[in-house]
Amino acid sequence: MSATRSGNSRPARKKAVPTAKGAAPTWNPNLVVFACNWCSYAGADTAGVSRIQHQPYFRLIRVMCSGRIQPGFVLRAFEKGADGVLVSGCHFGDCHYVNGNERAVEQFKKTMDVVKLLGIDEGRLRLEWISAAEGARFAQVINEFTDQVRALGPSPLSNGRQAADVPAVKGVAIDG
Amino acid sequence: MDAGRHPLIDVVTNAEVIGCSGEPGAFRVRVRKNPRYVREDLCVACGLCVDACPQVGGNEFDVGLKARKAIHRPFPQSVPAAYAVDRDACLNLLGFLSEKQRKRLEKMRKVKQRKQGDYRAAPILVCGHCSDACDVDAIDFDMRPEEFEVDAGAILVAVGFREFDARKLGNYGYGRFPDVVTSLELERMLNASGVTQGHVIRPSDRKTPERIVFVQCVGARGEGGRGYCSRFCCMNAVKDSMLVRQHDPEVQDITILYTDLRAFGKGFDDFVKRSHDEQSARYVRGRPAKIEHVAETGTLEVFVENTLAHEQTRIEADMVVLSVAAAPNDGAAELAETLGIELDRYGFIARKDPAVSAVETSRDGVYVAGSAVGPQVIPDCVSQASAAAARAQRYLTGHRFEEEAVPVEPMDLSGPPRVGVLVCHCGVNIAGVLDVEELAAYAGTLPDVAVAQTHLFACSSTGQDELVELIRDHGVNRIVVAACTPRTHEPIFKETCARIGFNPYLLEMVNIRDQCSWVHAKHAVEAQTKARALIRMGIAKARHLSPLHEGEVPMTRSALIVGGGIAGIAAATDLAVQGLPVTLVEKTDRLGGRLAQPNLKLLYPTMRSAQEVLDEKIKRLKKSGARILLNTEVEGVTGFVGNFEAKLAGAVDERLAVGAIILAFGADLYEPGTEYGYRNRDNVVTSEELERAFFGDADTVDIEAFCARPDGAEPKSASFILCVGSRDPEGFSGCSRYCCPTAIKQAMELCRRGIDTTVFYRDIRTISTGAEEMYREARGMGVLFVRIPPGDKPEIVGKKRAEGVRCYDDLLGREIEVPTDLIVLSVGMKPRQPATDSFHDMLKASVDLSGYFLERHPELAPVETAVEGVFLAGTVQGPKDIVDTVAQASAAAAKASVLLAFDKVKLDPMIAGVSREQCRACGACVDICPFHAPELVEENGVVAARINGSLCKGCGTCGSWCPSGAITCEHFTDRQVHAMIDAFFEPEPCSDVRVAVEGQVVT
Repeated sequence: MSATRSGNSRPARKKAVPTAKGAAPTWNPNLVVFACNWCSYAGADTAGVSRIQHQPYFRLIRVMCSGRIQPGFVLRAFEKGADGVLVSGCHFGDCHYVNGNERAVEQFKKTMDVVKLLGIDEGRLRLEWISAAEGARFAQVINEFTDQVRALGPSPLSNGRQAADVPAVKGVAIDG
Repeated sequence: MDAGRHPLIDVVTNAEVIGCSGEPGAFRVRVRKNPRYVREDLCVACGLCVDACPQVGGNEFDVGLKARKAIHRPFPQSVPAAYAVDRDACLNLLGFLSEKQRKRLEKMRKVKQRKQGDYRAAPILVCGHCSDACDVDAIDFDMRPEEFEVDAGAILVAVGFREFDARKLGNYGYGRFPDVVTSLELERMLNASGVTQGHVIRPSDRKTPERIVFVQCVGARGEGGRGYCSRFCCMNAVKDSMLVRQHDPEVQDITILYTDLRAFGKGFDDFVKRSHDEQSARYVRGRPAKIEHVAETGTLEVFVENTLAHEQTRIEADMVVLSVAAAPNDGAAELAETLGIELDRYGFIARKDPAVSAVETSRDGVYVAGSAVGPQVIPDCVSQASAAAARAQRYLTGHRFEEEAVPVEPMDLSGPPRVGVLVCHCGVNIAGVLDVEELAAYAGTLPDVAVAQTHLFACSSTGQDELVELIRDHGVNRIVVAACTPRTHEPIFKETCARIGFNPYLLEMVNIRDQCSWVHAKHAVEAQTKARALIRMGIAKARHLSPLHEGEVPMTRSALIVGGGIAGIAAATDLAVQGLPVTLVEKTDRLGGRLAQPNLKLLYPTMRSAQEVLDEKIKRLKKSGARILLNTEVEGVTGFVGNFEAKLAGAVDERLAVGAIILAFGADLYEPGTEYGYRNRDNVVTSEELERAFFGDADTVDIEAFCARPDGAEPKSASFILCVGSRDPEGFSGCSRYCCPTAIKQAMELCRRGIDTTVFYRDIRTISTGAEEMYREARGMGVLFVRIPPGDKPEIVGKKRAEGVRCYDDLLGREIEVPTDLIVLSVGMKPRQPATDSFHDMLKASVDLSGYFLERHPELAPVETAVEGVFLAGTVQGPKDIVDTVAQASAAAAKASVLLAFDKVKLDPMIAGVSREQCRACGACVDICPFHAPELVEENGVVAARINGSLCKGCGTCGSWCPSGAITCEHFTDRQVHAMIDAFFEPEPCSDVRVAVEGQVVT
């Protein structure tokens, strides 16, 4: 039996501090993922519980319903330098709020129009339905979308900024 | 998950009921809790023990398709989340024993257990890997079975079913051929997070099967000694065939071998149509004689007679899926004996009379719900569960939950943001991948962060203490917890905050476990960067959080039931016995609706007199103290949950204030018009008219009234035509559910009186309890059943009166003509008008495409509407029979009583609000909100939107649609989301965090 450890004074494991070594040639995109609380966010959690590995270049922003995701959010993400934006919600008929995801589609179409108008490749914006049980699907969508945006290269609005969030390390592509 | 977290629900797992004494209202139930060898109060569900465990055992959740460790979590979302040790696999509990020794030991244990009521686990631990790995010392092999007593007012049995053991049907080869699988095994494969991650594989060689055959009714409808229909398998096979196609385009060919396609539920027929349109499967009517394995090709061969093509065929298949029926669950019989309740002939829990109450067992105070009474689909299970809860409540009045008053002085949290950050190690779940100390140090460098600390397990009680310390000692007014998912753990942190008067809405959780360390374990560097970004974003949002306060509106603790049929009577009774003021409004001058004479004589399958059942129900209603208003109508309804005002007109003229409304005004029967010559041929009648004829002379059916034969002779034959006004692509495309068993009941009645009876059907859908057996009995009596192809309609022969029915007999494969003296049209249901339209207008509750009221969610909320406080009972929601109607009515009463239990309605503050200055009254929010929360209101001459907090559910869709940005969605405001986006792309303030933050970080 192990000794009981109490309190908060566990020694830190010294690893994973970003360092300058290991720079790899592959460019990695910065992705923003909007997810609804009830389905896709829960799907991302399910991926975690099942330890389904996927590429780590996205940051997820939780909202209650995909209907909340207004064009302004997506456009702001692109403006700030996102290379890709994924909008996700519940499957049709599964919305916690009756039909918020149908509204999300309408908003998404409007957003897509503006995105195209701005000269941003439409491959940088994607809409996906992921249920709370679909952890594997969440991982698959993330991997696909990351590869898709990686192939497109940095967004023209990112001002040549290279993976702002990965200051020193240029990671390698990860398959799942 | 909700049940596990509910303050009034104790979940005791691994437990069995071993004794029950007392009487309704005061039962004493003896429970034995078997050891899980993991202490639930200590286990943090980190999973370290699983990695350490060397032993592999069977896995019943994945139906044996996947192995699992001896210590395991039963399934990913299990409640409690604590791990458990498999007694049949753990080395400590088995020792290193041979199979023979193990069996002897098991036997000895059983004997000891019987004698002493407990036994010791193996005294010496042969393996200690899991307990060594556990950081919180949760593993305890000294656990013994515990026995304790529970006081209970009522007992609810919901033990479910198990699948039929297909091994019993040797000709299907299940158990002999690996590629013959059950529907449950396929289901686990199709689950995206299941054993094969959604891919369908052939167990023998793990390749994708190109040809799959589904076999229906395995162990049901007469096979394996079970006469009943299992209800859910048809739709499950249709659904699975579509899913398989979507997942694996390599699957070339799917065949479903069926007898009748029983798509009886709301929208089910449309789903089957979609399957036909998409050609996801080939439907072959037939039941296989045997399934053989072809050694040369390694494939399977299904021998089946295609009863529509009239040929015996062999279908080659790579995989065969047996749609196994539901069977009584293991231990149901023992439980029934312990509780003193009766079983039916199959071993399911028996109900006293399902038409009176769908949930009452043979013992008062003991109720049953779900598939413990026989196979059910999920919406019906959920309705029954609520119904059982409603019935149980009558023994629980006086035990109502009084909310504990928490007199906490709210803390002063004003001033500029001072953020406190707590980063959780979660044992090695987070710290094994991420450098947690570095994350805390980094957080300390971010703007407005006053303090950043780490903790081994932030959710543990010491972690919560630390959170309190953090708030009190450092004077922070925002909290960021970087740990696991807010979906499970935010309530814990929020409660701690609320307990000390810290506004819980000033807390933000950052998910660095489920969505970071767990899923990027192989890429620690990127994971660390991601965690830093997530924390940065969380802090950015926290800086913009504002304190929110739960609102409340008063609740009028009374209910209005619209409609005095069986549904209204059942709902009103269940509410009134709880002592709640209930008003039942009936338009006509009598109660009973369609059950009352002269509409209905006998109820299937019990063949009890409808009047007798109705009298019993009315007696209960009158005793319950509900106020009954006959000859009264509801002219108008205004208001919202807790505060409705209904204008009643008729026998009384008043304005009634109620907190909840249950719609139970039923449905109309389809009127055939000139179809089948109903209008112009005397001897064509509807099923309702025939039912009325049964009320004539007791011995002879008074069908002369409809069909005087020209020669004056006695009528000799009668024909039933099913699906009149149902399953009609131009009219109601769904199934009316009640007509098949009703027609069979009437046909048997005619047959008994010496009249040759023929039933023309498309699919016989005898799905309710006892109905399948009745169908079998009718065939035995000599009632002829003629199957007609789904698209066809039978033709009536004869000019002035019907003399025969001509149609294509699907099973004979040719045109036939059956002489008849009487034609009975089994008419379906249609939404009642104008009541449906007028209540739709008054309450804004939505209706579906077929015109029935739409439930909020078919599985999660089958009796609720999108409008809070408005519930559905019976056929207002869609066609159903009396048993299902009564269950649904009780469910509606249960749901209403939850609201009416309190004199206030608590309002979630995470909702939308309108800035009147910015609103330009365009009405976009009013148009899109499915809950009708926003309305345009004129105030001081200015029109602007206003959101009713008691209706708003907080989805935020209106905030996204508002063109002028006037709507704020609390806790997910534009500013907060923008701050998160901006924070993502802010460059990290310093490349070497450790140097820069020296002296600032508190750990």
